[in-house]
Amino acid sequence: MAGREMPAKGTPSQVGRALKNCALQAQTRRHFFQDCAVGLGSMALAHLLSEGRPALASSAAAAGPLAPKATHFPAKAKRVIYLFMAGGPSQLDLFDPKPKLQELDGQVVPPSYVKNKRFAFIKLDAKLLGTRRKFTRYGQSGAELSELLPGLASVVDDVTIIRSMATDVFNHGPAKLFANTGVPRFGLPSMGAWITYGIGSESQDLPGFVVLQSGPRGPRGGAPLWGSGFLPTTYQGVPLLQGPEPILNLASPSGFDRRRQGDFYAAVKDLNSQRLDAVGDPEIATRIAAYEMAWRMQSSAPELMDFAGETAETLAAYGAEPGKPSFANNCLLARRLVERGVRFVQLYHTDWDHHGNNDTHLGKPLEDRCRETDGPAAALVKDLKQRGLLDETLVIWGGEFGRTPMGEPRDQMGRDHHIDGYSLWLAGGGIKPGQTIGATDELGFYATEDRVHVHDLQATVLHLLGLDHTKLTFRFQGRDFRLTDVGGQVVRKLLT
Amino acid sequence: MLPAYFQYSMRLLGLLVLKFALTAPAAQAQSVDYVRDIRPILAKHCYECHGPDKQKSGLRLDTVAATKEGGYSGAAVVPGKSGESLLLTALTGTGDVPRMPEGRPPLSEAEIELVKAWIDQGAAAPTDDAPATAKTGGSKHWAFQPLSRLAAPAVSRPEWVRNEIDTYILARLEVEGLTPSPEADRTTLVRRLSLDLTGLLPSPAEVEEFLADGAADAYERLVDRLLASPRYGEKWARHWLDQARYADSNGYTIDSGRSIWKYRDWVIEALNRDMPFDQFTIEQMAGDMLPGATSEQTIATGFHRNTLRNEEGGTDAEQFRVESVADRVNTTASVFLGLTIGCARCHDHKYDPISQRDYYQFFALLNNADEPTLPVPTMQQSKEEPALLADIAQVEKRLGEVEANAGTRQLEWERKLTDESRAALPDALRQALAASAADRDEQQKKLVSDEFRKVDPELVPLLTVLNDLNERKKQLAAKTTSTLVMKERDEPRETFIHVRGDFLRRGAKVEPGVPAVFCSPEGAAAGEPGVGGAVASRLDLARWLVAPRQNPLTPRVTVNRVWQQYFGQGLVETDNDFGTQGSPPSHPELLDWLAGRFVDGGWGMKALHRLIVTSATYRQASVYRADLAQRDPANRLLARMPRLRLDAETIRDAALSASGLLSTELGGPGVYPPQPEGIYRFTQQAKFWKESTGGDRYRRGLYVFFWRSSPYPFLMTFDAPDANTACTRRARSNTPLQGLTLANDRVFVEAAQGLAARVLREAVSPSDLERIRHLFRLCFAREPSAREAARLSELLNNQRQAFAADAADAERVAGTLCPAEIPAVESAAWTALARVAINLDEFITRE
Repeated sequence: MAGREMPAKGTPSQVGRALKNCALQAQTRRHFFQDCAVGLGSMALAHLLSEGRPALASSAAAAGPLAPKATHFPAKAKRVIYLFMAGGPSQLDLFDPKPKLQELDGQVVPPSYVKNKRFAFIKLDAKLLGTRRKFTRYGQSGAELSELLPGLASVVDDVTIIRSMATDVFNHGPAKLFANTGVPRFGLPSMGAWITYGIGSESQDLPGFVVLQSGPRGPRGGAPLWGSGFLPTTYQGVPLLQGPEPILNLASPSGFDRRRQGDFYAAVKDLNSQRLDAVGDPEIATRIAAYEMAWRMQSSAPELMDFAGETAETLAAYGAEPGKPSFANNCLLARRLVERGVRFVQLYHTDWDHHGNNDTHLGKPLEDRCRETDGPAAALVKDLKQRGLLDETLVIWGGEFGRTPMGEPRDQMGRDHHIDGYSLWLAGGGIKPGQTIGATDELGFYATEDRVHVHDLQATVLHLLGLDHTKLTFRFQGRDFRLTDVGGQVVRKLLT
Repeated sequence: MLPAYFQYSMRLLGLLVLKFALTAPAAQAQSVDYVRDIRPILAKHCYECHGPDKQKSGLRLDTVAATKEGGYSGAAVVPGKSGESLLLTALTGTGDVPRMPEGRPPLSEAEIELVKAWIDQGAAAPTDDAPATAKTGGSKHWAFQPLSRLAAPAVSRPEWVRNEIDTYILARLEVEGLTPSPEADRTTLVRRLSLDLTGLLPSPAEVEEFLADGAADAYERLVDRLLASPRYGEKWARHWLDQARYADSNGYTIDSGRSIWKYRDWVIEALNRDMPFDQFTIEQMAGDMLPGATSEQTIATGFHRNTLRNEEGGTDAEQFRVESVADRVNTTASVFLGLTIGCARCHDHKYDPISQRDYYQFFALLNNADEPTLPVPTMQQSKEEPALLADIAQVEKRLGEVEANAGTRQLEWERKLTDESRAALPDALRQALAASAADRDEQQKKLVSDEFRKVDPELVPLLTVLNDLNERKKQLAAKTTSTLVMKERDEPRETFIHVRGDFLRRGAKVEPGVPAVFCSPEGAAAGEPGVGGAVASRLDLARWLVAPRQNPLTPRVTVNRVWQQYFGQGLVETDNDFGTQGSPPSHPELLDWLAGRFVDGGWGMKALHRLIVTSATYRQASVYRADLAQRDPANRLLARMPRLRLDAETIRDAALSASGLLSTELGGPGVYPPQPEGIYRFTQQAKFWKESTGGDRYRRGLYVFFWRSSPYPFLMTFDAPDANTACTRRARSNTPLQGLTLANDRVFVEAAQGLAARVLREAVSPSDLERIRHLFRLCFAREPSAREAARLSELLNNQRQAFAADAADAERVAGTLCPAEIPAVESAAWTALARVAINLDEFITRE
């Protein structure tokens, strides 16, 4: 326990002062720090290694549940930006060209492919649909991409495309839960919660797990997608709003200027400290630290949202317009968040569910979704690389499932949900760049080569962050739960 | 219909049978004897997993009868048809059944051939088809044993003991060499009791009254007064509603609103009336099935209608119905039995004596309900409806009579039609009228008759009245509140085991029943349901849940959860897992004594509360103790009272009660207090949230409308459950977002303004110190220390200066609640103080 003592010298933190003269100081202090996976000795070391980022300046405040913690083995990635394309983008029109499917366009699907299969909407006698999109090889890696993804084409040598993703469930809500929590039910922690639980966050002025959203509506599944399940709620994702208040209740009440708000926090701290002296409960020390963070967030979060310091070139590259909610703005905000030490940023962009209704078909709606996301996502990869952040930042782009090789004719042409073979891309954070791995069969039905199940992807993400997915567990109701449930294999081919 | 995988297995098996037929014809020729040839093979290779001790996949092979019945996937042996017998499929490892015995060497070809021959020869059973002897008995796990009723232990300090609870607690402390904490001071006790029993802060007058009451039973009378308050039902309903996963919307993705608040109000009312817990259970589980069920008893079944409903397109209705039933199974097990049996949906429970067959038998008990909507008219509406129906019936009767002789009147009307009026009619009608009645075709007859009905002086007024009455009936129905209930079907659904939890893969059919581990002869002797298939319906299940000789879990689990609310953790820390993987009770004898007392006393909830809060254990001080931090860091032994952060709703209610803004209206539809802008940007459907005004703005937290996909943010920030599944124990987090909420949210700024107004109005003298003392009494039921008063005084003067410099800000902060004669600067400064008080750790803590 020696390593977990408070520093003997240096600026005593406010909590430290509050603890001074407290007869129960030693016990309180021990309790306050006992849940912290690393002591202050290793925290100081982490500070030295943190390349000058002021991640751990105020040790006592940082020693909460979100303090950086040791990994199982050296990490390649320090943070994650997950671009979640809600609804299920069509891999066959974006990533996975199939000449045979073109050839059989309009024919009834061979029964051998759909034996014992169920789909959300279409019947088993649906007709195959070849893509109407042109595919070209790009970059040194020669990856094949659809004409709808010119942005991605420009960074294709920095990304790895997986063409052999597979998941278990074919309705949106359950499939999104599966992608995020490893089971298709409510009640389990999301990936971001597991990660901040496992290794904390390097930001003390912002939450460790932040959720940003764009598109016409929220993703199906809602808050449980970034929930903490049975983990303490400290680890749940904090959804930022787009507008003057990125975090709820961040602005002081009307009539409380900065000075009066400062007076407020100071009085709360002093009186809480008096109470701590009187009753000695370490939970009061945690509360004091939480209020200090709240006060810091009132300053740090507006600064975070203020794009004034970004150059016109940067804004143009992302297509971001300050004050106008968009996926582009969120990509830029994601970069700003990880720059400030936030561990896990998840962006949701909705409306990829292209069944074939007038506003959800493979024509203009698909083009619109690509236009909204392709440029900004590519700009994010370039920007991170240019700033030297890409090496340690894992970027993931993908949805909860893909779409069927059969067409779904409604008002116009679309495709149904498909779980046995779809595509996704990754960049940075220890991912070996410039590859296309995995393959589906000649019609694009099943992942036939290097199949990557959702649990495998989750295991790989944790691995890149220095975590063994079988060891990152939490005992709940008598069972050790983990993100990958009872599956998951690290995909070695993805690693540098 | 055979499952698809089975058909597949059959195909492979066909080939295999052919192969055997060619290679090993010898065994076919000789007659196989089960006892001589087969039983030894099965005993050697199979009994370990499929015998008297274990029945993996529900299969036992130690009798021919059991073998024929098979396990979850159906019959293991089809006599005469080895090709269709799963046993052979398993032994040969064909199809997608793993080769048996799994992970061991396979049977020899000769052995397999013998089994095959036995099946093909008809799978004859021996005369004595008795099961093999089991090595082990039933479950020895403590939670499944009957309630023990041991004599209370002896203690060396009997003077500390106020009731039996204390004997058990003290005896253990003495063993550990620890002493209990002294009794908390009276101000702490009155605030503690008020928060715990009613969820509200005591008023200064209530505190005063208690402090001034020198009678020996002052404390007990305070307890009785609080338990009699309607606020008690509201406070404790919230804990139950967590378990019932109550919400005001359907959940999943579309998440439309639903009307089920009548159920919420039923819970409040039942608790306030102190409905015994056994009745409380039965009415919620199966109130609709009680003889002569009342409307209230039917409303109670909303308990199991709080399941989610998926309105997404393209979903399989049966899939989500099955999900709902599974949720009911899990919720019932979790809430009443403290068991997590969800894992048995796909396979036998790994740790607890719950097989997959048990799970689906339980499932069958809950699988027969329809899910209707029940209109619940108000008293006024219920009077209106019969009157309206009677009027309608009367008008319709008269209409019938009038219709009966319409023909005569029509002829009369036709006769009297003048040429001028005929000329004004449309051509077709004119032609029809020109023809004689007998010559008109059907269309013409209708034309004439329709025209006549428009003008007939007898019909027209009646039809007008009828239309009006029907319109009123429609409006009444639209105004009438409805609620979601259960209704048992006349024709029960068949229930099958879902192989690996997949509802499309039907395994063996099961009959309804409770898990085998619970069937005790003692209970049967006492006439309780539960033995030999006596639990056959949802109502049987409801009764069985509260039949303690059959099922000792419900009373244990229930008293443990109540205990948990007071002490932060249960005597069994894993309140949701009384199984073998759960934590053992810290005080097993106390748990059983409490459970026994609860049952013997007629399952009275208020009596249980009274028992706990009048104990010396509960009345201890909560001050942190250095000696305990070492010896008992988790405070399992209760040598002091724990300090607990208040639940989300109680934080809201406390702030509103301190400020005097709280509306005490009980029940009714959900309300919409202020919430930050932009919450619904992220939901699939925009949600209704028209900010409530008047009293509804200040209703208690449990009345806040709960949208599952976008809950009221304040509630979530303070760890309220998401209402997707039963929550039996809330987390207690301590986060910066909570600080931001209490500091800046409009609800709490308004509360601070109300609190300041109250301080300025009510303090006995206008001195600063007197007002600071009143602020403290309102928030903490105690006097401030000199240091605390000094710090607040410093803040007060400092804020006076700060607001004096900015009149506009002073007006903004002062708000409209403070007395008009007080200058805005003064009101603003006091609002700043009140805001600090509401944000203190002590404010949101039950000491």
